[in-house]
Amino acid sequence: MSERYSRQVLFSGIGPHGQEKLKASHVLIIGAGALGAANSEVLVRAGIGKLTIVDRDYVEESNLQRQQLYTEQDVHKKYPKAAAAKRHLEEINSEAEIHAFVMDAVPQSLELILQDVDLIIDAADNFETRLMVNDLAHKHKIPWIYGACVGSFGMSFTILPGKTPCLNCLLRTIPMQGINCDTAGIIGPAVQMTVAHQTAEALKILVGDWDAVRTTFVSFDLWNSQYQSIKAGRAKRDDCLTCGSDAVYPYLQAENTTKTAVLCGRETVQVRPPALVQLELKQLAGSLNAQGYDVKANPYLVSAENDGERIVVFKDGRALIHGTKDVVYAKSLYQKLLG
Amino acid sequence: MIKVLFFAFLKEAAGRESMEVEMSGETLADLKKKLSQEYRIENLETVMAAVNEEFAPDDTVLEEGDTVAFIPPVSGG
Repeated sequence: MSERYSRQVLFSGIGPHGQEKLKASHVLIIGAGALGAANSEVLVRAGIGKLTIVDRDYVEESNLQRQQLYTEQDVHKKYPKAAAAKRHLEEINSEAEIHAFVMDAVPQSLELILQDVDLIIDAADNFETRLMVNDLAHKHKIPWIYGACVGSFGMSFTILPGKTPCLNCLLRTIPMQGINCDTAGIIGPAVQMTVAHQTAEALKILVGDWDAVRTTFVSFDLWNSQYQSIKAGRAKRDDCLTCGSDAVYPYLQAENTTKTAVLCGRETVQVRPPALVQLELKQLAGSLNAQGYDVKANPYLVSAENDGERIVVFKDGRALIHGTKDVVYAKSLYQKLLG
Repeated sequence: MIKVLFFAFLKEAAGRESMEVEMSGETLADLKKKLSQEYRIENLETVMAAVNEEFAPDDTVLEEGDTVAFIPPVSGG
């Protein structure tokens, strides 16, 4: 064992055997925003062997205050978060195998990368994705760790298929998205505290210390100095469509996934093409330029701006329409430019 | 008396951190209805509820001295 992990190996919960288990493990992180960046850094430093990170967005200036992996250079180059994360994580630990996917976290794509995944960490920014991940985790019997934060508030819950209640048991319906980073803001410590809970659970699960895994739902408010652990056992429902005896995994059904989504954290609508495509970005940049747009491009995306309209198109055909929450307007602009 | 605690943005919606109500013998669903009708605290059906630090379903009967906490699930990440 190299000196690199010596202090962690000294910790009795991990030890040399635990360290080897970490080395042999594969963690999938859904999202490379604040939670994804911090979770991935902790786990890659801790010595997990393989990490896959999925994100649909690119780095913006307003991310730097709390999304710890990213730099001003990433903002300047409009680097996709997953690709930027991979680069920084490889600099931190060259022994780790990092896979980055710049794409929407949809079931069809995720099922292709779930093989040999030991644990899924939730770093998404919306409930639709989380409930879909909840379904996937149960279908494939993979533990996953819910985490979310906003303002000075955060929460986490460790979900073990077949043992604990699932997110669908706890929520019953997709809650109102009334509060998010757009309306309530977020401070870095709320991210760090959420991530501390998620990564501690992750280490316990990856080394196989199941008795140590937290069974309560944690929520806290750092500004108001509150911390609660809530017992969750009674929340498990036998008629749950995700983890009950007649599970049908409702959030993996196509009709429950939307083609447009309003992104958390800013006035932006994502439009996704109905089928999988690979765009010829150079050609697209030329065409947008000819239509009067001011165009910037890198190997992953084309960013175009004209008269207050700002649109970013990724290689997989997705587009982010900035400056609006109007999905109808966003769809029509998408069709006008790419249709 | 039943003690009711509000967390995160519910604190602002309720205009307070906590309150006490006379609802012994009634259910959690009754409490949600009362808070919505008399205190204009909306959307409680999408909020997680714990009685004495344990998640509880709507038909839970509240007893004297219970503490009910309403915790809105958050989605930021």
